[in-house]
Amino acid sequence: MTTQTRHPLCINNASKSFGAVAALSDVSLTIDRPGVIAVLGQNGAGKTTLIRTALGLVSPDSGSATLFGVASNRRAARERVGVMLQDSDLPDLLTGRELVELFASYYPEPLTVEDTLALADIGEFANKRYKRLSGGQKRRVQFALAIVGNPDLVFLDEPTTGLDPDARRALWSVVRGFARDGKTIILTTHYLEEADTLADVIVIMQSGRIVAHAPADDVRATLGGSVIRCHTTLTEDQLAGMACVSRVSASGRASEIHTQNAVETLRELLSPEHHVTDLSVSRPNLENVFTQDYS
Amino acid sequence: MRFFNTLVLECSAELLKIARAPEYIVPTMVFPVAFYTLFGVVLSQGQGASEYLLATYGVFAVMGPAVFGFGVAVANERDKGWLDLKRASPAPGVAYIAAKVVVTLLVATIALSLVYAVAGFGADVALPRMTWVLLLVTHVLATLPFILIGLVIGFSLSANAAVAIANIVFMGLAILGGLWIPISMYPSAMQTLATVLPSFHLAEIALFVSDAPGEHTLTNHVIAVIVMTVVLAFVTVAAWSRQSD
Repeated sequence: MTTQTRHPLCINNASKSFGAVAALSDVSLTIDRPGVIAVLGQNGAGKTTLIRTALGLVSPDSGSATLFGVASNRRAARERVGVMLQDSDLPDLLTGRELVELFASYYPEPLTVEDTLALADIGEFANKRYKRLSGGQKRRVQFALAIVGNPDLVFLDEPTTGLDPDARRALWSVVRGFARDGKTIILTTHYLEEADTLADVIVIMQSGRIVAHAPADDVRATLGGSVIRCHTTLTEDQLAGMACVSRVSASGRASEIHTQNAVETLRELLSPEHHVTDLSVSRPNLENVFTQDYS
Repeated sequence: MRFFNTLVLECSAELLKIARAPEYIVPTMVFPVAFYTLFGVVLSQGQGASEYLLATYGVFAVMGPAVFGFGVAVANERDKGWLDLKRASPAPGVAYIAAKVVVTLLVATIALSLVYAVAGFGADVALPRMTWVLLLVTHVLATLPFILIGLVIGFSLSANAAVAIANIVFMGLAILGGLWIPISMYPSAMQTLATVLPSFHLAEIALFVSDAPGEHTLTNHVIAVIVMTVVLAFVTVAAWSRQSD
């Protein structure tokens, strides 16, 4: 076995159809280093099928998937993997603590139950039955099951859906911590902000194909330049006519001006006759990239 | 060692589920003894009816926990995605099934004990001690083919469909298998139909073991049960691997 095949994840030419719908079309994806990988794409782009194929829950019509060089459906692979699925409810009648204890027993070197409860921040309701938890609390218990095995590779399918902002940030910090410890985290998300904050690598899917796979910084750089946000009475056409402006879009009441040279554009924008308030300048984020290229 | 630890935790999880929602399991324990009391004792007609129905209601008693405990519970947990999550984890599938088998045998034994108690104390069914033991072993073993039927239902159907089909299968096996009314009272076409049902053959074995009234043989019925169990085992494995997609 070569070292190449021991990468956390290798998907080779995987295709999968459900009836007439091609959920994956000849997808290859190799994740060869630790860090946070965000898989982005619209509903039906194939994100969940990609994850389920990687995990061996879906057997592809053609192609293969390995985890750490071992076929995904083998136990040796799964002992190094933690999972949070999108549509996976836990038994209503068991408590978070009982579920964590049970899952801990599946793994060779799990975290302690107490550490897991603390990391997933579910201690205060760990003794309540799953059925009685709120949607966000249930997601956090599911997250606890994903990490209790102290896995080298963690799959999180839409992990923060239904979480309030505090819980979302708490989960992000655990994910970042895992990445710092040399683990690999593969997450799918609808929230571009989430990918922007967390991801080292971005994978973008569209209609069952991977259309981009690059370091997050490179993905942002494909847009280049800067984004000026402001409130103004100027029209989009007027803004688009200014120096170095590549594109103008509306974001709520604010205008977003994409420019190749912020200094030149600002000189013109801030002339005394223009009414401009609430101005900020930033690097493009993934949302800017996404709205430009993939929608 | 790790497997043993998992097995203990899976068993305790199954027991906790039952303890916290007894409303699902209590009917399967109480119905058999209630029916036996009514038809086998109170309305009992003729010599030996209590003895005869003890053998057949014993099969009926183990059928409920097996068909419903596996059929409905597994379909439910599969529908919710809980089985997917377990399959994606290193959880040994054997431990999950084994824990359910242990708990089902426990529930079935309780249901049986209630029927035996009414037979022994209420209907004065007097069997040699060794016969009681053999009958108990027969009835407990009879759980296994029903567990496989439950698993096929659980692996193949949605939670809602599983409830409906489990009820139909349960009633069908009970009535057509001659568990409520002696098979000899049925028209011959229905007697022929009964020979394809495991419940009929298991009842005949129990009738033979308890030396109940009527002519009962052993060998052919044992062979039939073994063949059916092996076939069911294959169907179960097929249903299991088909649902992994």
